[in-house]
Amino acid sequence: METLSFEFPAGQPAQGRALVGCVGSGDLEVLLEPGSVGSLTIQVVTSVNGSAARWQQVFERMFRAQSLPALNISIHDFGATPGVVRLRLEQGLEELSHA
Amino acid sequence: MTTNIVSMPRPHDLLWGMTAEQLAADAPAWAHAALRRYAPVVVRRAPAEPGWIAVGIRGQAREQRFATWMRLDAIRRQVSPEAIVRAGRWHAHARPQWPALRALAQVAPRLAECGLAWGVTGSLGFELASGLPAVHPASDLDLLLRAPQPVSRAWAQALCAQLDGAPGRIDVQLETPCGALALREWAKGAARVLLKTASGPLLVGDPWAAARQAVA
Repeated sequence: METLSFEFPAGQPAQGRALVGCVGSGDLEVLLEPGSVGSLTIQVVTSVNGSAARWQQVFERMFRAQSLPALNISIHDFGATPGVVRLRLEQGLEELSHA
Repeated sequence: MTTNIVSMPRPHDLLWGMTAEQLAADAPAWAHAALRRYAPVVVRRAPAEPGWIAVGIRGQAREQRFATWMRLDAIRRQVSPEAIVRAGRWHAHARPQWPALRALAQVAPRLAECGLAWGVTGSLGFELASGLPAVHPASDLDLLLRAPQPVSRAWAQALCAQLDGAPGRIDVQLETPCGALALREWAKGAARVLLKTASGPLLVGDPWAAARQAVA
C-alpha cells in the first residue's frame, strides 16, 4: 500500500460530487468533490508500490489538454492500467457535469 | 506439428508449456524463475499475432506480473476457471480458514444453481490448478461468470446481495461475448460501465452490444 499526492492548477470549484468505479483487481474507485479555487488535488491510495511516476504521467497527459474545475479527487487503486485510470477519471468528470 | 489445444484459450485460462528459453532475455529474472518452476501462464485480454496468445507470468510478489506472448503450438496443458471448480481441490486446501477459501465454500452452492457457468481465477485459481503457493490470508476470491446472454441488473443485484454475506471479499467478473465487467458495477446501475475488451477498456451502456456501440 502506498499513498501519493498530486496537485495541478484548476479553475473555479466544481459543483456537486461523483463516485465512479469499482473495488476490485485491475480497477479503481474515484471520488470527485469540490476543491478550493485554483487547485486540483489528487490523493491516490494504491496497492502497487513504486508507481508515482506512472500516475504523474497519466494525470499530466489528461489535464494538459483540458482546463478543469477545482476538485479534490480521491482514488483507491487496485492495480488498474493507465487506460482504465483514464476512463474512470473521464467517467467521473462526465458525471460531475451532469450533476 | 501437433498441438494439445482443445479449444482456443480464453482470458484467465492457465496454460503450461512456455519455457524460460521462449522468454525474451530482457524479461525480469523472477519471470524466468517462474517458468523454470513449471508455473503456468495466465491468458490475458490483449491482441496477439496469428499463432500467438497474450499471456501474463505471475511472480511470487503481488507486483510481479509480466506481460508477454506465447506460441499456441507450445501449449502442453490448458485449464479453464470452470475446470478448477470441477476438480474440487479447494475442499482439501491446507488453509480452509482463510477468507478466500471460506468464501468459496459458502458461495459455491449458490453459484452452482445460478444458471451460468462459473470458475475460480486469480491467486486461488492459480494455486489450486498449479499447486504453487499464491494465496495469502488477505487474498480476495476472484470469480468469473460466463454470461453469453444479457443478465438483468436486478439479477446482478440479487446475486451481489448473496455474495456480500460471505466471509471474504469476492470479485466477480461477468464475461460477455464482448469482454468482461464487474458484476458489482453492473448491479449498481451507473449509466455506463467499464468493459475490458481485447482491444482495451471501454465505457459502454450495454456490455453485450459493445462491439456495435464502440464504433458510434
